[in-house]
Amino acid sequence: MIETVKDAQQSKSAGRIEGGIDAIVIGAGVDGLAAAAYLGKAGLRTVLIGAGKEIGGRIAAREIAPGVSGVDGEHLVTVLDPEVIADLDLYRHGLEYAARRLDTTYFFDSGDVLRFDGDLAQAALLSLDDDGDRETLEKFMGEVLEVAAFLRPAFTPAAFHSADAGHQRALEKALGAASPELAARIRQMLFSSADEVLRARFGDGPLRTLLLAEAAFRSAASPHEPFSFMSLVRRFAGEAAGLQGAAAYPAGGALSVVTALRRAAQLAKVDVRAATPVTSILIEGDRVAGVTLQDGGQLRAPIVVAAVDAAQTFLKMIGPASIDIELQRMLTARRAEISTARMQIVLKGVAQDDATRRNMMRRLFYAPAPELISAAFIDARAGRVPERLIVEAVFPTALDEGAALDKRQVMSVMAHPLPFDEKPDAARREEVRTAILDSIEMFAAGFSGRVEAEDLRLPSDEASATGASAAAYAARPDLLRQLAIANAVAGAGRINGLCFCGPEAQIGAGLSCASGRAAAKAALRAFRRSAP
Amino acid sequence: MIFPAEDFFADAPRPTPLFAAIASVSEANLWTSVNGWTAARVFTSVSQEYDTAKNAAALADLGPLTRYAVRGAQAPDYLGRLTTAPAASLHAGESARGLILDEEGYVIDLAEVSRLSDELFVLTLPSAHARRVALGARGLNVSADDISDQVAALGVFGPHTAGVLSAAGLKTASDVTAASGVLRGVETAARPIQYGAMPGVELIFPKAEALTIWERIIRRGAGAPIGLDALEILRLESGAPRPGVDFIAADRAAARGALRTPEELGLAHLAPLDRGWFNGRRGLRDKAGRPARRLISLSIDAETASPGAAVFCEGRPAGRLTSCAWSPARKRVIAFADIDAATRGRDYEISVSAPAEGRVPARRFETAESALARTFAGERGAVQALPTDFRR
Repeated sequence: MIETVKDAQQSKSAGRIEGGIDAIVIGAGVDGLAAAAYLGKAGLRTVLIGAGKEIGGRIAAREIAPGVSGVDGEHLVTVLDPEVIADLDLYRHGLEYAARRLDTTYFFDSGDVLRFDGDLAQAALLSLDDDGDRETLEKFMGEVLEVAAFLRPAFTPAAFHSADAGHQRALEKALGAASPELAARIRQMLFSSADEVLRARFGDGPLRTLLLAEAAFRSAASPHEPFSFMSLVRRFAGEAAGLQGAAAYPAGGALSVVTALRRAAQLAKVDVRAATPVTSILIEGDRVAGVTLQDGGQLRAPIVVAAVDAAQTFLKMIGPASIDIELQRMLTARRAEISTARMQIVLKGVAQDDATRRNMMRRLFYAPAPELISAAFIDARAGRVPERLIVEAVFPTALDEGAALDKRQVMSVMAHPLPFDEKPDAARREEVRTAILDSIEMFAAGFSGRVEAEDLRLPSDEASATGASAAAYAARPDLLRQLAIANAVAGAGRINGLCFCGPEAQIGAGLSCASGRAAAKAALRAFRRSAP
Repeated sequence: MIFPAEDFFADAPRPTPLFAAIASVSEANLWTSVNGWTAARVFTSVSQEYDTAKNAAALADLGPLTRYAVRGAQAPDYLGRLTTAPAASLHAGESARGLILDEEGYVIDLAEVSRLSDELFVLTLPSAHARRVALGARGLNVSADDISDQVAALGVFGPHTAGVLSAAGLKTASDVTAASGVLRGVETAARPIQYGAMPGVELIFPKAEALTIWERIIRRGAGAPIGLDALEILRLESGAPRPGVDFIAADRAAARGALRTPEELGLAHLAPLDRGWFNGRRGLRDKAGRPARRLISLSIDAETASPGAAVFCEGRPAGRLTSCAWSPARKRVIAFADIDAATRGRDYEISVSAPAEGRVPARRFETAESALARTFAGERGAVQALPTDFRR
């Protein structure tokens, strides 16, 4: 159960200037919690302020149907930063996995099914009858995992930030450190589309289809666009429960990550304040000086870490008159077009056979044919809801004993690609709902007849719950553009003492906390520099 | 304000609002293109036009420069962000020079801001920066409209500037005070401007009335036109770097080595770090006091020199000339040289081609612009004083 913090401080702070604070963290999502915990642990008097009534940002528990509780936000852990887990001792603070190394069952339009081991290095050992395919897949996975491991530092926010060197130059430098063979492979994977890389390896077979769908999943870049293969590499660079490229389900869902981070922050004596909206970040000269609260109060501190989206941080809280035009252009240059929808579905009954029961313990992934994926991206960009969607589904009630229900199951689904809407109307929501259910029917015939209730969550819903801009929760663009944006926001407008770890600082989708760690480390350096 | 580099390969440049007027008095009929506009290189002779500017009043068609009318409650914030000019502290009628910097603090262009009223400013730029001007206005209560092709602009330089202003019916205007008035039913305005560091006045009037005002000024014999070639000498004498010639705009530079900070161009006084916020100030702060290059004015003991010529200091290569011209006042070739910032000293050598093949001596000299920069640096005690030469 999530803890709700009453706004005990707020009434006291109205119109008051509060000092004696070393660092303020704005935004009580996972990155904000991680950053605050790091800063508190380093001995800084840290205040974490969140706009919402609850701590956790977009990850929050909610009743999705009468008597059924669900968790918003991410439903799996795939890229949770291992350094954050170790540094903040999250296992000791309650992080626990209900299911590690989730196997994936892939469903195709043809009716074929392939099962992959949760350990990608073992992927070729399962379900492949063709020896040729098996060898190709084994070799391919080895190569991709090696590239992903090598490039892992590049996916760490701010790792390549430099005032004078662009991220591309830094990437080139990193490539220079690789063996010629590895560097050539990285270059090929970096610049090629997912379709080019996979077609060359797997022709038109099912392996191409499933990996193409994995590359396109949760990315705004169609798998036929340049650089799109890197989306898959980024996903495989992450790790869950200590295994590279794996997926895990935490006990209690993603909320247990929030709870563990919250405990780490509390142990580090972080002053956590919910329902405390910030209206502006105070800049004096070229230094950050604190924040102004909605009630008129001020918190003053030499360090401010912004863990809310970049549009809020730079365009609203700081204002365009005080940031560089180049940063503003980077943040506003491209309109969000693609999004992912989350749906939690309550199903009647229990699994009747062992095969179904086993599948409910896995990650289920529907991979439409490549031409359907391509058409889906075209439709979504044009503002239409595609007919077929890539679907990732898990059953929290099957994976987590603590979440089990009597004669009912909860299926958690992520569907992609969908058009991004700032404010979707009821008709658009119905279109999305129908498209998701139809796509699930493609691999679970008769499924719709068992639906008792469903809860659709679009980016606009998450935004309204957290007070963020909806665009912050849209699908991420291609990796090079993500690096460019992350590099720009990591500089935090070159304002001394200001650090940024909002969603734009993260490379790739998923629950990571790496940008919170990076921002906290930058904040600590800034604090030490500013100390008398 | 300074004209940017000529665009030699421009196809059929557009006529400026004053083109018909100035074409009628052009004897040399020698034209070029600046920003896609037609600009006169010479009207009569370079020396005659130069003398007019020194001893009478020279009239320059400033039509090829780009002008924006900036309106709105946040116009001072906007201009203070877009340029380094202190727009917020200007009173109505005042003008100030500044620079446009990128986020890292490198120079994109020069700028001049004039305040006409509380919420109305004129922004003059050597070249158009439509995208940057529009982007900078996002999120602010301000509008910036390009009025370059709607108004005629006539620059007046020289000791007899007052006569020209009088002919234009703007007796109260000067090179420090703006004024506006009506001459034979035509609205005219005058505002102080600077050609580099050389003071002058810019007369602005509607495009449709360009010939009326021009004729009135010429009939009174109040001034004579000046072309780009004579202006180039005045520019070098006043020590004002020319965009596209003495430095490459940061948004057009193909290599990082071509980027220049205000300090490297000798224009640190136009972007003081203790002024309010401007775009690129935080990037500039990190580079302050650590220039990699320097742009200096040299007086060369030769009758001719060429841009690109090698510059030596104590026998070692130090940089190259970026622009040069014969200065009648100094009786020497004067030039801008882009040199390594580590090079110190006053005496240099320049590589010249035939007939005086070899190296000829050159010496740094003080210009109005470098004097401003030195005073600025001296106040802060950061830069060693430059040997001065005020003979002319």
